[in-house]
Amino acid sequence: MPEKLLEIQNISKHFPGVDALRGVSFDIHRNTVHCIVGENGAGKSTLIKILTGAERRSSGSILLRGREYNPRSTREAMNFGMSVLFQELNVVNQLTVEQNLVLGKEKVRLGFFRRDPQVVARMYEVLRSLDPSIPLGKRVAELSVAQKQVIEIAKAIASESELIIMDEPTAALSEEEVNRLFTIIKELKRQNVTVVYISHRLREIFEIGDAVTVLRDGQMIGTRQVSELGSGGEVGSTAELIKMMLGKVVAERYVAGGGGQGAPVLELRKVSNAKLREVSFSLAKGEILGCYGLIGSGKTEIARAIYGLDQKQGEVLVAGSPAALASPREAIRQGIALVPEERRSEGLFTRLAIRENIPLMNIRSISRWGIFSARREKSLARSYIQKVRIVARDENHPVEKLSGGNQQKVVLSKCINADSRILLMDEPTRGIDVGAKEEIHNLIRELARGGTSVIVFSSELPEVLNLCDRILLLYEGRIRDVVRNGPEVDSERIMHIVTGAKEA
Amino acid sequence: MQADLTLKSGRRGATLDIQLLILVGILVLVMAVSTALTPRFLSYVNMINVLMQVAMIMLTGSAAVLLMIAGAFDLSVGMVLALTGVMYAFMSKNGIPTPLALVLSILIGSGFGLANGALVVGLKITPVIATLGTMYVAQGLAFIVAWIDGGANVTTGLPRDFEVFGRTMVGPIPLFLLIVFALILIFYFLFAKTNLRKYAFAIGGNQTAARLSGLKVGGVVLALYVLVGTLTGFAGMTLASRMGSGSPKVGTGFEFDVIVAIVLGGTSIYGGEGSFLGMILGALIIGFVGNTLNLLNVMFFYQTVLKGLILVGAVLLMRQLRSR
Amino acid sequence: MKNRRVDLQKLVLVGILLFITVVFTILNPRFISGFNLMYVLIQNSFVIISACAVTLLMISGQIDLSIGSTVCLAGMAHAWLSRAGLPVGLSFLLAIVVGLLVGLINAVLVVRLKITPFIATLGTMYMGRGLSYLVSGGLVIREGLPDAFSYVGNESLGPVPYTIVALVAVVAVFLVLERRSVLGKYSVAIGGNRTAAMLSGIDTDRIVSTLYILAGAFAGFAGVLMASRLGVGDPNIGIGFEFDVIVAVILGGTSLAGGEGSILGMIIGALIIGGLGNGLKLLNVFTFFQSIMKGFVLVLAVLLDQNLKLRLGARAGARRAERSRERA
Repeated sequence: MPEKLLEIQNISKHFPGVDALRGVSFDIHRNTVHCIVGENGAGKSTLIKILTGAERRSSGSILLRGREYNPRSTREAMNFGMSVLFQELNVVNQLTVEQNLVLGKEKVRLGFFRRDPQVVARMYEVLRSLDPSIPLGKRVAELSVAQKQVIEIAKAIASESELIIMDEPTAALSEEEVNRLFTIIKELKRQNVTVVYISHRLREIFEIGDAVTVLRDGQMIGTRQVSELGSGGEVGSTAELIKMMLGKVVAERYVAGGGGQGAPVLELRKVSNAKLREVSFSLAKGEILGCYGLIGSGKTEIARAIYGLDQKQGEVLVAGSPAALASPREAIRQGIALVPEERRSEGLFTRLAIRENIPLMNIRSISRWGIFSARREKSLARSYIQKVRIVARDENHPVEKLSGGNQQKVVLSKCINADSRILLMDEPTRGIDVGAKEEIHNLIRELARGGTSVIVFSSELPEVLNLCDRILLLYEGRIRDVVRNGPEVDSERIMHIVTGAKEA
Repeated sequence: MQADLTLKSGRRGATLDIQLLILVGILVLVMAVSTALTPRFLSYVNMINVLMQVAMIMLTGSAAVLLMIAGAFDLSVGMVLALTGVMYAFMSKNGIPTPLALVLSILIGSGFGLANGALVVGLKITPVIATLGTMYVAQGLAFIVAWIDGGANVTTGLPRDFEVFGRTMVGPIPLFLLIVFALILIFYFLFAKTNLRKYAFAIGGNQTAARLSGLKVGGVVLALYVLVGTLTGFAGMTLASRMGSGSPKVGTGFEFDVIVAIVLGGTSIYGGEGSFLGMILGALIIGFVGNTLNLLNVMFFYQTVLKGLILVGAVLLMRQLRSR
Repeated sequence: MKNRRVDLQKLVLVGILLFITVVFTILNPRFISGFNLMYVLIQNSFVIISACAVTLLMISGQIDLSIGSTVCLAGMAHAWLSRAGLPVGLSFLLAIVVGLLVGLINAVLVVRLKITPFIATLGTMYMGRGLSYLVSGGLVIREGLPDAFSYVGNESLGPVPYTIVALVAVVAVFLVLERRSVLGKYSVAIGGNRTAAMLSGIDTDRIVSTLYILAGAFAGFAGVLMASRLGVGDPNIGIGFEFDVIVAVILGGTSLAGGEGSILGMIIGALIIGGLGNGLKLLNVFTFFQSIMKGFVLVLAVLLDQNLKLRLGARAGARRAERSRERA
């Protein structure tokens, strides 16, 4: 077994109200591809942030090459030989490939560049070893996402990084580009670089991974050698990983709702756009419909298309009659409301009070002839604070000071107050601690019993299994299967479908 | 946990109140010092004089404060002020009945507001650049009209009723001041009680969330630009009527006074928060300081320097208060 | 694609420049005379001299509204110091230092105190203007200036006026800076993606500060030259100068968001505006039309820039969509 490069010992990270990581320990060995898997909210991104200095750990220690490692900034982490492939690519689009590669490494004398053929030659060599097809003189803006990634990798190698962290690097890549990336990763191993690879796609782990660590709810479930798991082609090998990721998930809390009967309130017929392929489904009154898939599978895109944020082809029927739904305004008028994925940046006015947030989707609920009543605003807010149980000092509490769960309840109140009959909830419990999660779920069930139809877009299987009457399974912009929830539902089969491990 | 939350949230709500308190303190101080330095400060003539200057800043500021809260800017107000004054004089001199000229000149202000709104909302040009552009257009037009009239200002040959609006007195107080303050009160009502307030704060606070909540973001910003233009038109017309001439030079630095008053009043330059009363206090401070320096025969040039310092100081003060 | 975009913009600019030259020549043949062209060039050399530094500054995503005041302040300082008996050469240098100091203040406000560039430089713009008035109590400094004061602005080196010599020198220096120096390259990187620049080890604060200081210093240089040419120190000069500079820079293809632009483009932009102004003047069109025209040119330039970018963005989007379709 190769020597240990990074030893992660009993790391914990507490955020107000949430334990993002609880006593996680594992080792990363030199010259391996170490995969980390887990559902959203399992703690992967927090772990990466700690490793790269973007967040400080609450307790525990990390040893790099046997020595204490505690970076305070991303730059400091990079000086320790740690590089990250950022999802928001860190290249300058306006510069050429060559300029990007040498950026910050130029030989400078009196503020002027000295042409240094050596640096350029070395960078060129690195780049050629990764992907000879990228021309040095081309502007980066003209390159594909995959090629930009290669440039970032080349920069990392050239700055003598020993460890490269790749966070969902294949999310935006085509099949062919994924294959090339894998070739590069194998090449990196030959060049003595260790790779930490984060992905949802189990197939990929079997293709390039040496070891895999599974995280769930901020805890480490286990680390396995991929060779011990068997090869990716067999269903049996993924089965153990899936079991580790899911834990003891059974649909025990699921109670069949009364929904699903009667005429559909919303129907999509062959809706397509840049990210979606002929999506068709219908939603009944009082039904909770799950929409389950990994990041990039098109969940958010379905929500955005219905809500009028993205263009779409195909037909959408609301209560049986065609509706264009070209803008959020129109969607709201048709009784559709969105609880967006990015709660803070898209759903809330964080600097305003709870009281001021709630009526903003339906200003008429507190105003007449354009004049609002502070009294009605107050009583409205109070009634929602009671109804959805928002924990706050009072209705004047600024939303930015609330916990994630309570913020989400404010967004939910906003949507309910818009008299919506159809709720689109994108990742309704992301970043919310377990107790509040359950509360949100109960609220959703209550709403459905009251006749509201809900679509829950989630990348957490336990969530959809707990909540939903039916589940759409998405993979790469298509609905691969529709499952009716119940005691006999096969969560492993679901996992196989959405990870692309098996055709439906 | 609960106690902690209360403490934290209490702090932010109080930020604006502290700012207002500080402003009132500064205002009292300025007035006390001014009175001590020159007894003339509190005289009737001087007060009317100051109030006239301040009223114009407040009038445009009443709408501009909402615009800035919504996250946009208008640099063209100074030149629009000049242009509407010149146009009022030019039109009434050239045979258009004075009341009609009065209304038309206000509408010219609205027209510039509409143009600004169209550039920012429709063509998506950054507010600074778009209103810088219209500022120069307005300035050019003002000078051209004055030049066509044959001089630097439009002064001679004005009809007798040209000055009626600016000179009529109601008891000891000029009529126009009463009307301007009535307008400011109406805008205070708009600011405090209507949905416009809700929209402006929401749009400035989080434009994406505002759009996702179904607000007509573009429409609101456009409307605010038109309001700013209209009030500025009104101010320009009033000023011309009061002074008895239309001068293309009156508006220089006016946009700066308005912005300083608003920022001094606690409105964030990034939008999303702000205060009407703060703007009123800010305008009073700017006006009183300037006036006292005038009375003391301190050259007007110091004022520009001082205003620059006040602006930067106000931004820093806000940040201090907020970060505590 | 990218290269084509920039080239297209330059091509459009050169086309416009040729077009107005031809039109004005037809309307008034005097336009094309050597004397008039030299006059246009001298008139616009002040804008170009200070816009060189401003181009780099704007490429890095910043803006400076205090340029006009700085031009004026430096001119006033030069006149005041010369009148006070300082050797003209020394006063010349000191006045440039005054401009440099204004740039330094901008740098501190923006980089240290993190005030939005627009507000910070609006503040220094008013301070600079006020100070210029204070130098002479608002009066034009005309009397008591040594003869040497007007020398640089009105004499020639052989057949070439010194102003043009200075223009050529400054442009040459900045073209080299743009292509070969840390400032040129890093300003593009900072304007294009500040985080990426920082993570690549670039001291972004230092680069941005230097650019502000340079912008101030060269505004000072332009101001001193202008005062020398006029032979007076005038506290009313330079109003709207920053506007001319910004219009020239934007017209030259520099994006307001930063990350791209070129000094060559800026020069063409400045000449277009200068040519338009001069042509209108020769046609006896009133000068104030120029201010209106500039307003329109600015807005049009921004629109042109946005339009080109939008079209390209749409194309890139289509490419992306195609890729994902292939994959599905």
